[in-house]
Amino acid sequence: MRIAARAGLTATALIAALGLTACGSSGSGDSGGDGADGKRGAIEIVLTDNGCAPDVATAASGAMTFNITNKDATGVTEVELLSGTRILAEKENLAPGFSGSFSLKLTAGDYEIYCPGAKTSRSKFTVTGEAAPEATGDDALTQGAALYADYVKTQAATLVEAVGPLVAAIQANDVPAAKQAYANARSGYERIEPVAESFALGEQNLDADIDAREGDVPDNEWRGFHVIEKGLWVGNSTTGLLTVAQELQANVTKLQGLVADLEYQPAELANGAVALLEEVISGKITGEEERYSHIDLLDFAGNVEGAQQAFAFLQPGLESIDSTLSEECVTQFAAVTTLLEKYTDAAVVGGYVLYTTLTPADTVALANAVQALVDPLSGVAAKVV
Amino acid sequence: MTDNQRAPADDAAPRRRPSRRAFLGGAVGGGALLAGGAAGFAIGQAVADPDPGPHPSAGLVDFYGEHQAGIATPSQDRVAFAAFDVTTRDVERLKGMLGLWAAAAARTTTGRLIGTTEDNPHAPPVDTGEALGLSPAQLTITVGFGPSLFDERFGLAGRKPAALEDIPALPADVLQAALVGGDLCVQACSNDPQVAFHVIRNFARIGRGTVVLRWSQLGFGRTSTTSTGQSTPRNLMGFKDGTNNIKAENQAQMDDFVWVGDETDQDWMKGGSYLVSRRIRMLIEAWDADFIADQERIFGRKKESGAPLTGKAEFDPIDFSAKGADGALVIDPVSHVRLASPEENSGLRILRRGFSYTDGIDARTGQLDAGLFFICFQKDPRTQFVPLQRKLGSMDSLNEYIKHTGSAVFAVPPGVREVGDWFGKALFTS
Repeated sequence: MRIAARAGLTATALIAALGLTACGSSGSGDSGGDGADGKRGAIEIVLTDNGCAPDVATAASGAMTFNITNKDATGVTEVELLSGTRILAEKENLAPGFSGSFSLKLTAGDYEIYCPGAKTSRSKFTVTGEAAPEATGDDALTQGAALYADYVKTQAATLVEAVGPLVAAIQANDVPAAKQAYANARSGYERIEPVAESFALGEQNLDADIDAREGDVPDNEWRGFHVIEKGLWVGNSTTGLLTVAQELQANVTKLQGLVADLEYQPAELANGAVALLEEVISGKITGEEERYSHIDLLDFAGNVEGAQQAFAFLQPGLESIDSTLSEECVTQFAAVTTLLEKYTDAAVVGGYVLYTTLTPADTVALANAVQALVDPLSGVAAKVV
Repeated sequence: MTDNQRAPADDAAPRRRPSRRAFLGGAVGGGALLAGGAAGFAIGQAVADPDPGPHPSAGLVDFYGEHQAGIATPSQDRVAFAAFDVTTRDVERLKGMLGLWAAAAARTTTGRLIGTTEDNPHAPPVDTGEALGLSPAQLTITVGFGPSLFDERFGLAGRKPAALEDIPALPADVLQAALVGGDLCVQACSNDPQVAFHVIRNFARIGRGTVVLRWSQLGFGRTSTTSTGQSTPRNLMGFKDGTNNIKAENQAQMDDFVWVGDETDQDWMKGGSYLVSRRIRMLIEAWDADFIADQERIFGRKKESGAPLTGKAEFDPIDFSAKGADGALVIDPVSHVRLASPEENSGLRILRRGFSYTDGIDARTGQLDAGLFFICFQKDPRTQFVPLQRKLGSMDSLNEYIKHTGSAVFAVPPGVREVGDWFGKALFTS
């Protein structure tokens, strides 16, 4: 259940679906300049506090490499290649004494070399020769955002389906089955939590009504998942939970209806992914979310999976804008999921060891891994706007 | 549910824990979203630059130089110290971070923002901002490398100095594993605690994905005098300790005891030093119940004046052979001042540069968790700190009132010479 509920689209499938190729690769029909300009292929940029002017202001279209050296710019450690407001490529985190490069294929047009923070932060860079349309990162981002909308709908449907057995088990007064059904239903919500959090419908707040923890709201307004959790794990009983479960079912169904028409901006995917991971650090890694059942790692996994999916839909577009950042996110996602795998335990409801069995060393390692992911991921929104 | 309990105020109050960021701006339905949130911000949109440039105050210590600052620098009042473990296996990434740390240090020690102002409204700010507008207040940033950095991970095994050995188990150690060791250390000293903390916070942030914090310690008051221009401060026991510390103005002693010279087996350490840190918990409630004559016997000094028990003023020379009317030594054989003195240690000295700390209360006893975050610098801990502490730990009368709970040693490479240089560049590249 835990992993199997993942939506059908993966990043790999998405790349295939969009017919995208990686930045700088061939195959877009660009014949390019023919090398009449001897400078073509290697443009040197020396980064200083004054700016980042390239050694040549003009190059012929085609594949080229930008070599960047930070000479003495302590506050400027980033160089971007812009087309209008769009970042085509960039090199970040270049401290004084370090150098780096990026390569890509450019068609004719006006570009800018941009080093935020320098005295003269923008230098013009003109490419002459053939102008050929290429699939841009923008197209990929827009399509990725559209596919994310499908993912959210799938998850909402999964959630609704999973709450059904929970209602049934409570109705049948079957506590073990209800506990299992509770765990099965959590992931669908945790994967899309920030979407649900965004709904404030006048009087009603769906996130609170579905997922408020005890004390988050006045006691007489507390409803949703965690009321059921407390009843099942603390009371070891289904008494009084049927109306709560039925109300939960109505609310998740309402959520499903609300997400049906949603559209998203790429930056919203990125911010939503970061929000999911912030949930992990603030609530799951502290054991506060599932304080009665202690299946926090299941929610943790749901949040990470939701973030990973949101990122996966951005990745093809991000790849052509900032492949370094994209790779860093992929690497850190892998580090988190690998670490999380260590804690799986099929014998436990929810599929992970209980929070109460984790040592401080475990929680610190998990939090550090997530924090190391949040950092690059929080830089994605600005790239995909 | 009792509806009559629901006061009108409940409706006005937030009905949920707030979402930390507006993911969708609360909009419902299709088209509205496309027009919301993300639209309208162009990358590179101009934002007023709050970077004030170098702070105009006189409170600046040069970051670039032959030696790292924060060793010979007259001791500041505050320290924020952190030990880090490296999590990446990619040496290039580690080098890149050390370069970014150096760039950040060069800027923040002059009161400038770390990195320039982020002018993209969708990106998190580069600098966390809490030091903006504050004087650096003599901020120094000192970086060191622990013995564990020289294992198999980064190909540095052959470059490990012989002097960089883990501090061995010493008498009177009550070390807590979580407060020991580390691959890297950062010592940020300033007269403003917020400025010092800002360094640790931002260095940890720059290092995410490369390093993680292992332990950290704040110190709120200097306990050492490292310059002839400074008076001797008091430790939390109320005594002047370290009157006869090495003073930075004494170049011969700095060269003899602190700076690594030609004697090293590793060229990259020339001009560097070795930092030993010890978190020394003081049992201050017990100390406060001890009678004054015993306190003075234990230290070998008068509490109020700081004078040795054989003298009248703080800087009077100590007469270790003087005997009282009863024929006993005036300076007790196991007093702190005697056991730690160069006279009793073949002329051996270390540069002490510690700070008082408190970390709240000890949950087990309800007593204050406070003491000395001891930091010292030397040429070779194997022949300086270690034998000194072995002796103190086994004999010092003070041991009844202190516990060493944390311990670490770091090789502090020479100074970052100029822009383009970085912490340990010679270790990684030459």
